[in-house]
Amino acid sequence: MSSITSPELIATSNDKELISKYNIAGPRYTSYPTALNFQEDFTTNQYRQQAERGKLTSIAPLSLYLHIPFCQNICYYCACNKIVTKDKNASRQYLDYLAKEITLQSALTSKRRLVTQLHFGGGTPTFMDNAELTELMHHLAHNFKLTDSPNREYSIEIDPRTVSQDTLALLKGLGFNRLSLGVQDFDQQVQKAIHRQQSVEMIKSLTEAARLYQFKSVSYDLIYGLPFQTPESLTTTLQHVITLAPDRIAFYNYAHLPDRFSSQRAIDRLSLPSAQQKLDMLALISSTLLEAGYLYIGMDHFVRPDDDLAKAQAEGKLQRNFQGYSTCMAPDLIGMGVSAISSLKHCYAQNEKNLEDYYRRLDDDELAVCKGLQLSQDDELRRRVIHDIICNLELNPKKIEQEFNCNFSEYFSQALQALIPLEKDGLIEWRDDKLRVTERGRPMLRNICMPFDKYLATQAPSSYSKAL
Amino acid sequence: MTTIKTSSLDSNEKTCPHNPQTSCGDCRLGSICLPLAMEDDDIIKLDEIVQRGRPLQKSEHLYRENDNFASVYAVRSGTIKTYRLTSDGQEQVTGFYFPGEIIGMDGISKDHYANSAKALETASVCEIPFNSLEQLSTQFPSMQRHFFQLMSQEITNDQQLITLLSKNSAEERVAALLTSISARNARRKLSATSFRLPMSRTDIGNYLGLTIETVSRVFSRFNKQGLINVEGKEVTLLDSDGLRDIAGVKVTEHPL
Repeated sequence: MSSITSPELIATSNDKELISKYNIAGPRYTSYPTALNFQEDFTTNQYRQQAERGKLTSIAPLSLYLHIPFCQNICYYCACNKIVTKDKNASRQYLDYLAKEITLQSALTSKRRLVTQLHFGGGTPTFMDNAELTELMHHLAHNFKLTDSPNREYSIEIDPRTVSQDTLALLKGLGFNRLSLGVQDFDQQVQKAIHRQQSVEMIKSLTEAARLYQFKSVSYDLIYGLPFQTPESLTTTLQHVITLAPDRIAFYNYAHLPDRFSSQRAIDRLSLPSAQQKLDMLALISSTLLEAGYLYIGMDHFVRPDDDLAKAQAEGKLQRNFQGYSTCMAPDLIGMGVSAISSLKHCYAQNEKNLEDYYRRLDDDELAVCKGLQLSQDDELRRRVIHDIICNLELNPKKIEQEFNCNFSEYFSQALQALIPLEKDGLIEWRDDKLRVTERGRPMLRNICMPFDKYLATQAPSSYSKAL
Repeated sequence: MTTIKTSSLDSNEKTCPHNPQTSCGDCRLGSICLPLAMEDDDIIKLDEIVQRGRPLQKSEHLYRENDNFASVYAVRSGTIKTYRLTSDGQEQVTGFYFPGEIIGMDGISKDHYANSAKALETASVCEIPFNSLEQLSTQFPSMQRHFFQLMSQEITNDQQLITLLSKNSAEERVAALLTSISARNARRKLSATSFRLPMSRTDIGNYLGLTIETVSRVFSRFNKQGLINVEGKEVTLLDSDGLRDIAGVKVTEHPL
């Protein structure tokens, strides 16, 4: 499938109208069903049973996610599960518990299963010092089968303010081959308002060091819709980004939900850009990055045309999980650390979200699962449909019918009905009996998935951020 | 390796650096080796697990690539070279280790040594069985912390070396090696400017990815430029800052 996208995408006023029309609240579908649907009566034993399936026989690869919740400073926009502390010992204690969870989790799976994907997220993974990061990798290597294959995808989120070039050398030596830098915005007034100040030089020197140490890709996380951001300030930020030329760019929409995320209360509502300005910025981001040669692969992600993600999408092999898009996601993802989510073939499970609770559970020598969801066949079917739309921008009902033994048009008659207006608006098209997302529809992926989501009807729409 | 265990804590005696009777508590390398982070009582415990054998003779192997990993070693005297065999059977030198430095950590993750270790001159080592070290670490977290710090430093240095070899000119590489040896000598309270190179020009060339002729040529050039004075293996750094500038790398504690 072609990934070529014209630079005019969504830049026209006609398309802006379309964007505002489809700018409704919806999930980002890092999982289906989403975490909001996890049940508290899901037990550790249920998780254990699912995780142990195929323990003796399975050689399928594994994905691992490690959550390190600590941050030295608070960033006002952040909606992650995090703990802001200056106490460097916090990570020491956490590491001891994490080591315990690693041992417990690894006992459930086969040591033969190769870890093709590993991600350290946060919080701030580099809150840990070099020795602690080394120790953590050491625990992982002892308990799971890590690989040094060049095809592995071992990534870590970097707060540029916490690392030196030496840290990047260490991370490379520990086996990481992909970095994602939290850039957010280069404008000083914006940085001040979100309480995250970092210079262009800082990002530049780390990006150069990452190239020197031959990381396979450097990704920038950026946000639009931040306080004091204007199309003009964003133009400057985009120029810096294009000059530094990261391999991947994730441009997220800031969702101001101060009722849910207390740190966002520090952001003055009146300093936020208007809805119209946000639309202008979104158009600006797309047109600027596409013109600079990036491809839009979907759900806020831009990549260089020679990047593995672009190639995978072209081959219909792109995947997506809680960490975003991936080329080598395994059927099972084991999430470790406070609030981490595991995604197995037939269930999701989430760890305790509160650090004390997480510690207490591990003190009792048990896994820290606090909620989750056993997937019904309907869940798995819908998960597959949504996955295909988001990753491959294409849905083949015949394949789904074969795999799940159902009549697609009957099963999804309501959803297909709901898609008709989207087809009229040119977001999707039917060709060769396949549903395809058009160029125009790419920014509205969530809207295209939402008709297939059984749970949406039962939820208050305010639980989700706006689609765009 | 045969080992003679010692319980002697006699620190008054000025002993030969190869002497296996030296204990961790009175070892002059204590400040840079493992005991750094330990209290006196802990050091005695460490001393109980550390095994000290007879010295290695020149060219004798401490362990070989793919041997089962059981211990890490602290170099107490002499110099150890580590190397790997390439797929076509060529030796690739991967490091030089001086007193106070720990080797063998490359075996931890795979339970086999990834390198061979060979003495470049008469050398003595302290063997630290890894199982005992791990047990001890659970009793003394500061010790474990220090151990992983050493390990992270080692990994960082390796990556910096790989980068040095992939990017820099012959001058930059030789200057980086001399600067590194100088810094490591200083750490052991030895002269940072005047020392004997324990390794041959061939080993230096192999390590830095240069031919022996190039290594010799760079040495002569540095000599002529008044950066160093070199006579055989004896080297005097006349302009350390100049060398550091050429090395171009940010010199951390010991970059190579």
